[in-house]
Amino acid sequence: MAASGSLRSSICRIVHPTKIFPTGHTTIGIGLSTASSQKCSFSSTPEYNNRRPRRDNNRLRGLSSIYRSGTRFRMNIDKEDVPAPTKYKPKVKVDPNHGLWDFFYSKDSSLITPDESTEHGRGWTVEELRHKSWEDLHKLWWVCIKEQNRIFTLRKERSRLKLPEGAEEGAARLREVRTTMRSIRHALTERWYAWEDARKLAETDPEIDLNNTQSPFTPKDYLEEELPVENTTPTGDKPAGFMAEEPAPSKPTEAQEPVTKP
Amino acid sequence: MQPTQALLKRYRKLPLTTKDIKKGFYKGTRTGSMGSHTKYGGYIIDYNKVRTYVVPAGLDSFKLSPFVSAKIEPTRGRYEGYALGPKSPELYLDRWKAENGMD
Repeated sequence: MAASGSLRSSICRIVHPTKIFPTGHTTIGIGLSTASSQKCSFSSTPEYNNRRPRRDNNRLRGLSSIYRSGTRFRMNIDKEDVPAPTKYKPKVKVDPNHGLWDFFYSKDSSLITPDESTEHGRGWTVEELRHKSWEDLHKLWWVCIKEQNRIFTLRKERSRLKLPEGAEEGAARLREVRTTMRSIRHALTERWYAWEDARKLAETDPEIDLNNTQSPFTPKDYLEEELPVENTTPTGDKPAGFMAEEPAPSKPTEAQEPVTKP
Repeated sequence: MQPTQALLKRYRKLPLTTKDIKKGFYKGTRTGSMGSHTKYGGYIIDYNKVRTYVVPAGLDSFKLSPFVSAKIEPTRGRYEGYALGPKSPELYLDRWKAENGMD
């Protein structure tokens, strides 16, 4: 009956007592084993590792407003009725005179058409720039830099939007700008070396006294009577050769006239 | 800054980058020297070597553009009587005497 049933079940559960108690309270185990064949663990408290809460620590797992997952638990409204995040783009006030506008041709669009890009002339030649002052050349250089910036920005924008049409026009425009920049550099280098050489020459010139910083140049006309004409032209006039755009009137044999006007 | 002597001799032709060979190999990036090293590992910047870009004032009201009208044919300058043409120092001196000499 009940006693025989318990005996039978206890027979199945025979466990060696020392295996349950690895610390070695063998005296208790021996006592148990000798007294009855019923074997069980000392306490029903689970092992330390099994005592921790087995749950998902992430209370909001899977919940996302940007991916619109919906609520974690059932609610009285449907997923479609849950409000979506607003399309909020803050309006930024832009200064119309900001320097960065100089990277673009117009404020309305970041691009210009290839036809508009072709509307340019040729670059400056060295001869044209030889007449210009340092201030003009300096400013022209920076104007060229800004134009280059515009061309490069346009190129970048076209490649970003994958528009291959205006590439050659942009390259032609850039070529002219770089010609101008090259000519500026050429003119300035030439001027520098000419100045250096002229300074050396001035040391041997009788009319110039470089030690006199106030007025180094004392033309012969003012000091002595007229001497026979030398190789160099008289100090009062401009020499016929330099910077002459038209033939000197004293040379009637000259037939050629340089083209200066279109 | 110079790389170590061993690397200068035989291994110059190796296509090394700045990231190779932990110590002793230095490869610049074409930016130039901006100062000098101290013996403690620091660096002192020499502002005479540092590039300064001077933007002129009055760019907004400047009339010239990078382009010249294509209708204007480029002309050659005339420098008769001067051996080196536009580069001749005699030309420079003559112009100086005519324009600036009496200042």
